[in-house]
Amino acid sequence: MTETTSAPLLEVTNLRTWFPSGRGEIKAVDGVSFSLAPGEVLGLVGESGSGKSITGFSIIGLIDEPGRIVEGSIKLDGRELIGLPAHELRAIRGKTISMVFQDPMMTLNPVLSIGTQIRLALEAHEKISASDARERAIKALAQVRISEPERKVDFFPHQFSGGMRQRVAIAIALLHRPKLIICDEPTTALDVSIQAEILAEMKELVTELGTALIWISHDLAIVSSIADRVAVMRYGKIVEIGPALGVLTRPQHDYTKALLDALPSRAKPGQLLLRGSGIADAAPPPRKSATLNLPPLGSPYLVIDDAMKRFEKPAGLFRNLAIKSGISQPMPVVQAVDGVSITLKRGEVLGLVGESGSGKSTLGRMAAGIAIPTSGTIRLNGKPVMSHGRNARKITTRIQTIFQDPFASLNGRMRIGDIIAEGPLAHKLVTRAEALVYVGEWLAAVGLDPTFANRFPHQFSGGQRQRIAIARALAMQPDVVVCDEPVASLDVSIQAQIINLLIRLRAELDLSLIFISHDLSVVRHLCDRVAIMYRGKIVEEGVASTIYADPQHDYTKRLLAAVPVLPEAAE
Amino acid sequence: MLSFVLQRLWQAAIVVIAMSALVFCGVYAVGNPIDVLISPDATQDIRAAVIAQYGLDQPLWRQYFAFLGRLIEGDFGRSLVYSMPVSELILTRLPATLELTLAAVLFASLVGIPIGMYAGYRPHSLVSRAIMAISILGFSVPTFWFGLMLIMVFAVQCGCMPAGGRGETVSLFGVDFSFLTGDGLSHLVLPALNLALFKFSLMIRLARAGTRELMLSDTVKFARAAGLSEFTVLSRHVLRLISIPLVTVFGLELGSTLAFAVVTETIFSWPGLGKLIIDSITSLDRPVMVAYLMLVAFLFIVINLIVDLTYALLDPRLRKGRA
Repeated sequence: MTETTSAPLLEVTNLRTWFPSGRGEIKAVDGVSFSLAPGEVLGLVGESGSGKSITGFSIIGLIDEPGRIVEGSIKLDGRELIGLPAHELRAIRGKTISMVFQDPMMTLNPVLSIGTQIRLALEAHEKISASDARERAIKALAQVRISEPERKVDFFPHQFSGGMRQRVAIAIALLHRPKLIICDEPTTALDVSIQAEILAEMKELVTELGTALIWISHDLAIVSSIADRVAVMRYGKIVEIGPALGVLTRPQHDYTKALLDALPSRAKPGQLLLRGSGIADAAPPPRKSATLNLPPLGSPYLVIDDAMKRFEKPAGLFRNLAIKSGISQPMPVVQAVDGVSITLKRGEVLGLVGESGSGKSTLGRMAAGIAIPTSGTIRLNGKPVMSHGRNARKITTRIQTIFQDPFASLNGRMRIGDIIAEGPLAHKLVTRAEALVYVGEWLAAVGLDPTFANRFPHQFSGGQRQRIAIARALAMQPDVVVCDEPVASLDVSIQAQIINLLIRLRAELDLSLIFISHDLSVVRHLCDRVAIMYRGKIVEEGVASTIYADPQHDYTKRLLAAVPVLPEAAE
Repeated sequence: MLSFVLQRLWQAAIVVIAMSALVFCGVYAVGNPIDVLISPDATQDIRAAVIAQYGLDQPLWRQYFAFLGRLIEGDFGRSLVYSMPVSELILTRLPATLELTLAAVLFASLVGIPIGMYAGYRPHSLVSRAIMAISILGFSVPTFWFGLMLIMVFAVQCGCMPAGGRGETVSLFGVDFSFLTGDGLSHLVLPALNLALFKFSLMIRLARAGTRELMLSDTVKFARAAGLSEFTVLSRHVLRLISIPLVTVFGLELGSTLAFAVVTETIFSWPGLGKLIIDSITSLDRPVMVAYLMLVAFLFIVINLIVDLTYALLDPRLRKGRA
């Protein structure tokens, strides 16, 4: 490769990709221009719907019907890509430009072995014998640091973890030594420590091979750690583009500033975040009499004692016989939570941090009385949360839950007024006559118009739905709310609004929160105390500021070290 | 895997025995075959003698257990009408149905799936719309009418195809097959086409729905981004991914066609099992009915077992080591 720094590898000029819809066109990408030098890493940042992914798909020529590139030019090494016939575009895809997608669970074909999938990608651009292809596949896997590649090449995707699958996807993208790789949120679906590994490896590979990279992400911190230059997108346009350090430390555009201000990692813990704080929400409705005779703030309130949860599948008659006679293996047992004792003080926010599979959600579900512990007790104010016996059920309304996905947690066939009123009516907190006013008060308290009560969940955005879910939980007049990744699926600015809402409501209602999250910066911002979970156990627990400043356990240290950090603005 | 197969065979045994009891009682309730067997002017003595000969004077439970006892020895009884062992009778008819059904189901799958995948790949093209219109027609046109039309057009009007029967057969492993001779094959085409129509439409719809959904998936996008040709994407990725529902339906359809190809066999006077069971029902040939329905239950179970084992072959996630 003989490249001069002057000639750009990729030049995008005035790109417009539109999607026709019922009413006019959706201008997903609306006049985007930028250029990319060989070997350069460009970060493309924006919130959902900003057009950053569509820009990537436009470059590689994979716009889904009925979308189309209306005008503009995409030049690769001086050759115009727009208007190329399908077979010439295909010859470029995977060879000169390749792409890595967000979710490695969805991108690899679950029924083909890794070796087969790599072979298909090889055969797409060259004639190659089966044995050579296997050789190349093993080399490709070794290049992305997959151990024992000779054995792993015959694995199927489901035998790999998420991080390994993403490595396989990267290996496929690198097969033909492309000049440009487009990465569409490649680490978003992964745990922080895996994300850190992939980021570091990607950086190394890119420098080693001289590949240019377009790194699409919603996460400014990740982009800042890999990109040479950053472009911030909004409504299909690039609002700001420049060297990464410059854009992130001295943003010029208001939107970039707002994005940065919305990050909890840049605010003092416990304070309202700048963005979204301007909304004057109504005060929540007064507490009902049942909330009297509570212990004072700061005394132990929710006590989890040696809680354990095992998941096992009961074996059938023949399976049991087979296990006893040694033909069959015993059923696998998953020890999700392994003897956890922790106390939540009244009025405190306890952060529960861990990676996927650490058992944090299961612990939260047991605390909320949704899952039955295999052994151990969970008591709220001295009374058990669940009844005894085989068919134990929750016997308190004082603990409520907010779930991660507001699209799944609200019943799409019910009006939101009914969704919020359902629990309070069933538990006779309000009468049917009072319900309408009561629902209205809660909608106002979470910053929504009380007249929205007649609408259905699909008429709301993700952030609004999470507000509804919060109103539903709080309408039950709980003292303890278990929040299971409540902001994980939201954009940064919406996330800031929800965090502000939680901070405010907690102060006004003296709530105690269990805040489950994998996002360490959000936890630090919101929580008084933090417990780190690893493989079903709590490995470290303490005051948030102490843990973040001086982690003791190795796992906590690793976790904190893996978090990408934004460059500090030079004041 | 072994315990799984054992469990399924155990289930199969229970189902077949339950089926035999149900059918036995059901057939007993339908009517007395003696009225059909003996001419009305037979004397009371002959009547009593024949009843005793077939054991029809015994109470139902005793008849049933006598039947089960003979069954263990492999004796399904003798047909009252054909006066030959039922097992032999069914075995002479089974190959005819088997070849007709397999021809129909294979045609429906081998032609229907590619066409359906094309319709799913280009859902808005004119050809795809035409394919979908044909499949709707295939669902809604009654089999007997389509069969009659086939005979009208190809046998009566143009005279290029025979209207019925099996034609010339060749004996292979002691069983007669007609698909091995030109004449037999020409006899097979029309009934197989008739039988395939519904399944053909079903396969088109299933393949189309699966393909349409998958074309938007990240798996296909990623394969395209790696530069795979559209044909490779369809044949290596999409076909493998839609095959599980297709195999399920294939198995179900194979079973039900094997058991209930009655209408087509009657129209094309195809000497298969369907015609046999209709004849035995009208003549109250009890042993044939019982044996036939037990065979059907057994076939369904075997086919489903094969389908389940095929799943494991098609989807590595279902293989051993992951319960």
